[in-house]
Amino acid sequence: MGKRRGLLFYLSIYRKILIQDLKSKMSYRADFVISTIGMVLTNVAGFITFYILFSNFPSINGWDYHHMLFLYGFSLIALTPVQCFFDNNWNLRFMVQSGDFIKYCFRPVNVFFYFMSEVFDAKGLGQLAFGIGTLVYAWSHIGIAVTFLTMAKLILALFAASLFMISIMNIAAATCFWIQGSGYVMVIMFRFKDYAKYPASIFEGIFRIIFTFIIPIAFVAYYPSLLILEPDSFPLLSILSPVIGIIFFIISYLFWMLGVKKYDFTGS
Amino acid sequence: MNPRKLIALTRAGIMESLQFRLGTFCTLIGNLLYIVLVYFLWKAIYASSGSDTVNGMTFSDTMIYLVLATALFNFLEMFIVWDMSRSIQSGKIILDLLKPMNYRRYTFWSYSGSHVVLFVLTFIPTFIVVMIITHGAIPLGFNLLWFIVSTILALVINFSIEMLVATVCLYTESTWGINIVKETIVLLLSGASIPLAFFPEKLRRIVSYLPFRAVYDIPLSLLLKKNTSCEIALIGLQAIWVVVLTAAGIIFWNISVRKITVNGG
Amino acid sequence: MADEAIIMKKICKDFKVLNRHEGLKGSIRDLFSRDYRIISAVKDVDLEVKRGEIIGYLGPNGAGKSTTIKMMTGVLEPTSGEILVNGFVPYKDRTRNCENIGVVFGQRSQLWWSLPLIESFKLLRDIYMVPKKEYEDMLELYASLVDIEPVLHKPVRQMSLGQRTLSDILAAFLHNPKIVFLDEPTIGLDVSMKSKIRDLISGLNREKNTTVILTTHDMGDVDALCRRIVIIDKGLKIYDNDIDHLKSYFGSYRTLKMKLGDDSWEEMLIDEKTTDIMDVITKAQKEHRIKDIRLEEISTEEVIKKIYEGESA
Repeated sequence: MGKRRGLLFYLSIYRKILIQDLKSKMSYRADFVISTIGMVLTNVAGFITFYILFSNFPSINGWDYHHMLFLYGFSLIALTPVQCFFDNNWNLRFMVQSGDFIKYCFRPVNVFFYFMSEVFDAKGLGQLAFGIGTLVYAWSHIGIAVTFLTMAKLILALFAASLFMISIMNIAAATCFWIQGSGYVMVIMFRFKDYAKYPASIFEGIFRIIFTFIIPIAFVAYYPSLLILEPDSFPLLSILSPVIGIIFFIISYLFWMLGVKKYDFTGS
Repeated sequence: MNPRKLIALTRAGIMESLQFRLGTFCTLIGNLLYIVLVYFLWKAIYASSGSDTVNGMTFSDTMIYLVLATALFNFLEMFIVWDMSRSIQSGKIILDLLKPMNYRRYTFWSYSGSHVVLFVLTFIPTFIVVMIITHGAIPLGFNLLWFIVSTILALVINFSIEMLVATVCLYTESTWGINIVKETIVLLLSGASIPLAFFPEKLRRIVSYLPFRAVYDIPLSLLLKKNTSCEIALIGLQAIWVVVLTAAGIIFWNISVRKITVNGG
Repeated sequence: MADEAIIMKKICKDFKVLNRHEGLKGSIRDLFSRDYRIISAVKDVDLEVKRGEIIGYLGPNGAGKSTTIKMMTGVLEPTSGEILVNGFVPYKDRTRNCENIGVVFGQRSQLWWSLPLIESFKLLRDIYMVPKKEYEDMLELYASLVDIEPVLHKPVRQMSLGQRTLSDILAAFLHNPKIVFLDEPTIGLDVSMKSKIRDLISGLNREKNTTVILTTHDMGDVDALCRRIVIIDKGLKIYDNDIDHLKSYFGSYRTLKMKLGDDSWEEMLIDEKTTDIMDVITKAQKEHRIKDIRLEEISTEEVIKKIYEGESA
């Protein structure tokens, strides 16, 4: 006598749990304000770095200022979903160590879903705003037409790109089920994302493979963007990015769930 | 605080670090990959710039600088803010404050163990590798001595900055926000993400008045003999920051702790 | 529909543990070692629990109790043996198993920290897909058993320990599960709260015929709620029977309580088979002034202590 839980069920539960998290975060007003300031400052610092770089070097690998800015804005938007919806990954390590994680396994809902739904990071929306602003600015300076086709391509590209960082963070977080003290892996991956705003053409040889297929930061902005920036000559990987993204996501999800299964729940 | 206690704490810190065997291994691999990223990026940057030297730094100079900065970052990194905000959130901080040891000193020495390990496991190998790859591009002489002294001072400065930031956590219950702000600012303004040599003139002047360069830029420029002022002046500057930040930190800390104990957390 | 709520046959659970070495050199060695050993946390445990029973699940810490409970809740897979909970294999179909069980595990609340209790209830109602009528009936039942008003609109983070425990238990029963696992529900509570919690549990068990597996170190819980107790020690089940049966085995034991001259009570456990009580009293009178004497049956606590200490029953 199992109860059927379909997509609608999960969506409505997700909305409810999420709203609760938002409400509770709002009540910690000082924290909310400071975190938002933190987010703004991070983005500002990112822009300053970008600016300093470009004041010394007018182009990188054939990519000029506005094209680089496009990549930058695109990557910021692509990084928003992982920031907003999968933020609880950062807490995974601590909950697993303390044994508190077990509470996610006592409910008749998918553990991954339940775990991720508990935290919504509203600060990510600030990053989204920066990203959209940058993208629009760059877009207008490059002079790409705004048609139904280009918009559709943009949405598809962003969707595909967002899957990759989510997958990376899922896998990085899930390592805590097997390895102790691997919290640093998440920090490193998070720092890697800063390099997603550079064209992957800078990589050579085996490292191009590593940063495309193993730690796929090349897919967070570079390949999907080419669908729009070079509509006549984009590489095969660009058009395949949604498919590859979905595959990556599934792999990361399975890996995460495998960790739950293998974990012996005894805490530290 | 007697030396026996200090040694015991340091020893405990070392053992704890070593027990995270696979974790340490992953950290190593992660750092190596990060350096690879940095390498490719700057290679492309220099290739596109058309000249070998920009702002007095060649590609090789920049690489050495950034690689050592990354290694130094790992060495200096302290999860004080993270750990403290966790212990504030869980209320554990009350227990720690009740311990008969001065909290600040206790914190410093308990983190020191892992720093010894990190220095041996990450910085020294990195240094050796860089020397081999660049065929001895780093001069070996008195600068090594200055570097060691400077690094120790940098450690203390970094610790003071961390404690100042962590003290803010006593007021806000925030974890992420404050930590990220601190990290972003420190990394940017200390020359760790982009060498200060590349900063536009005005920005560089502003930055030279801030303590952040004392954490990365000074030790590294002493090591690489790229210092623009004499060694003693730079060490002196660091020492001043040590005194200022430690004093500010202690005062701020004491005020905040009193506020907590009055309010009952 | 089977009469048995839980069936475990020859359940074993082993864990792999890294052999740690001492000292600094040992830690360095551990970095590169592959030296593991196998620990048997649970060995060949058989258990059958009938629907509607409240059983006391006892054992020293580290005995393997929580490991067996984790297997019953579907969170751990046994190394060998069979286990059926409500007719299903719990680890094979975790979601389905969770529909029919309620868990209060450890001192961490499973409710949403900043939500008023009623909001948590509503969320749980949606997650477990409880029909509206059943949900409302359950709330009414709760109101009849305990004074629910003061906690209903409080966020969990503002509750006292007793209120939080109460809320967790109510939340565990909300979807009318067939089995509820309660882990040390009365720990840290004052006497009046303990009594309220015990009344609640027995009331819910009576009204809904819910099977209750109660893990506890508090003998008051055992006396108030359990007819049958199961004792686990070192991974083995060493006792599984009624409480009265247990006491009868230790029937020759008496608790002798003597009130001394300074009004303090001295308590001694005496086996009448080996010691003459009168001798003890006489000897005591020679050394102290005795104001009052009480002779009682052996307490549950003493019985359990004796079993933990390895005396056979």
